[in-house]
Amino acid sequence: MDVYFLLFAAISVVAGLFTVTAKDALPSAMGLLTVFISLAALYLHLNAPLLAIFQVTIYAGAILVLMVFVIMLLMSPGDEMQEYQPNVAYRGLGAILSVILLGLVGVAVKGISDVVQARQLPDGFGTPGQFGNLMFKDFLLHFEVVSILLLVALVGGIYLAKKDVN
Amino acid sequence: MNDWVIALIKVVFIWTWTLIIATIMTWVERRGSAMIQDRLGPNRAGPFGLFQPLADGIKLFTKEDIIPEKAHKILFNLGPILFALPAFSAYAVVPFGDKIVIGGKEILLQVADVNVGFLYIVAVGSMAVYGIVVGGWGSNNKYSILGGLRSTAQLISYEVPWGIVLLTTVMVYGTFSLREISLAQQGTFLGFLPNWGIFKQPLGFILFIVTAYAEANRVPFDLPEAESEIVAGYHTEYGSMRLGLYLFGEYVNMYTLAALMVTLFFGAWHLPYVDMSKFLSPFAYGIASFLVFFAKVAFFLWLFVWVRWTVPRFRYDQVMGLGWKALIPLALANLFITALVVQLTV
Repeated sequence: MDVYFLLFAAISVVAGLFTVTAKDALPSAMGLLTVFISLAALYLHLNAPLLAIFQVTIYAGAILVLMVFVIMLLMSPGDEMQEYQPNVAYRGLGAILSVILLGLVGVAVKGISDVVQARQLPDGFGTPGQFGNLMFKDFLLHFEVVSILLLVALVGGIYLAKKDVN
Repeated sequence: MNDWVIALIKVVFIWTWTLIIATIMTWVERRGSAMIQDRLGPNRAGPFGLFQPLADGIKLFTKEDIIPEKAHKILFNLGPILFALPAFSAYAVVPFGDKIVIGGKEILLQVADVNVGFLYIVAVGSMAVYGIVVGGWGSNNKYSILGGLRSTAQLISYEVPWGIVLLTTVMVYGTFSLREISLAQQGTFLGFLPNWGIFKQPLGFILFIVTAYAEANRVPFDLPEAESEIVAGYHTEYGSMRLGLYLFGEYVNMYTLAALMVTLFFGAWHLPYVDMSKFLSPFAYGIASFLVFFAKVAFFLWLFVWVRWTVPRFRYDQVMGLGWKALIPLALANLFITALVVQLTV
């Protein structure tokens, strides 16, 4: 078995469990940080250094910093988070949905191993240059559609945050 | 096997070198501040007080290590480590000279020349904030939390223009490798200027140096530890060597940022108008390129000290206003103009 993969997969699963069970907000965020970094290590293992760097820069370096900022703004050390979802109906629904999700992931994993056989990586796989070529040549339309989606979210955010002038 | 040994030597060398520089910088900071304020500064321990950092180190190591009773023990211990770790790992992709030939073997003076070197620095640099946040939160002290809060807001704000400026230099040189960027700065630009980044990106350099000071939490951007408002910010509760790690990490950060400035904007190891490799033996050239590079870095390290003791601290809203209303629009305009020029000239 692949020791490197197993190590970081185990770390990310354990850290993920810690993230959702920790009652203290900041340690929970640190758990999420561990998940992000071990995922980046897995990307490195898959010959995708650029993706690994993006994972660290964007998720760990920007999004999580924003979350931590909100935690520090709204809570103080020693505050514990609320009890888990007390509503039994919601908890039941959550359990059913997570089982379905797990099944879907299982099907996807099975499907991938059927479709994709082990093969030689093309030359320059995962380098920034090839990444850019793919994104701005072959998948330009998708890229632009996503950017419009982000723009819409941005405009919506500004509209919601804007003070009423009248 | 031989390559592994060389890599190990390089890692150990740059690690030790960084530590020595950080140590000397504490002395430079104190003597420099004294010079600027017309005082003498520490001058008793050794010649010119040069052994002062050693005395400081012994003091920090032998002091009682106090953990506040109400602190979160794990986070409190983790904070300084999380702060120092990214600081020490960032230098891995920055060159410290061109190349040296020893025993017929060519050795690049850089730990790792990776094709995503540039982005690696951005990624590692964005991790430094966690050390401050974790330490501030773990201390369970209102001043520490305010320091952590300020540092997150400041880092998010200044990482945007910092990243855009880095992107602009990537556009100019067309590579992510810091070594290739250094090599591209040889020769002259427009016939009479050295072919250095600053002449191609003057606005970029100004933006970079301002955001670098903010990233390193240095005056005038040291709001996370503003002593006139929040005691000592995120490290209010820290003492002994834990505090030492925070202070040390700051100097290591400064060293990396100064090396980055030299690599991107001041021709790395190249002397203006003179190609050293033409008339020096390969071995001497290696040493010379290292010394030239370090001389430039030393100037920028001194600039950090110089600015700290001459420029007063900003108010908090001024820091945010400068970041969002001045630096980001300027960085975007710089990016746009550079993209236009690159498109029109290639």
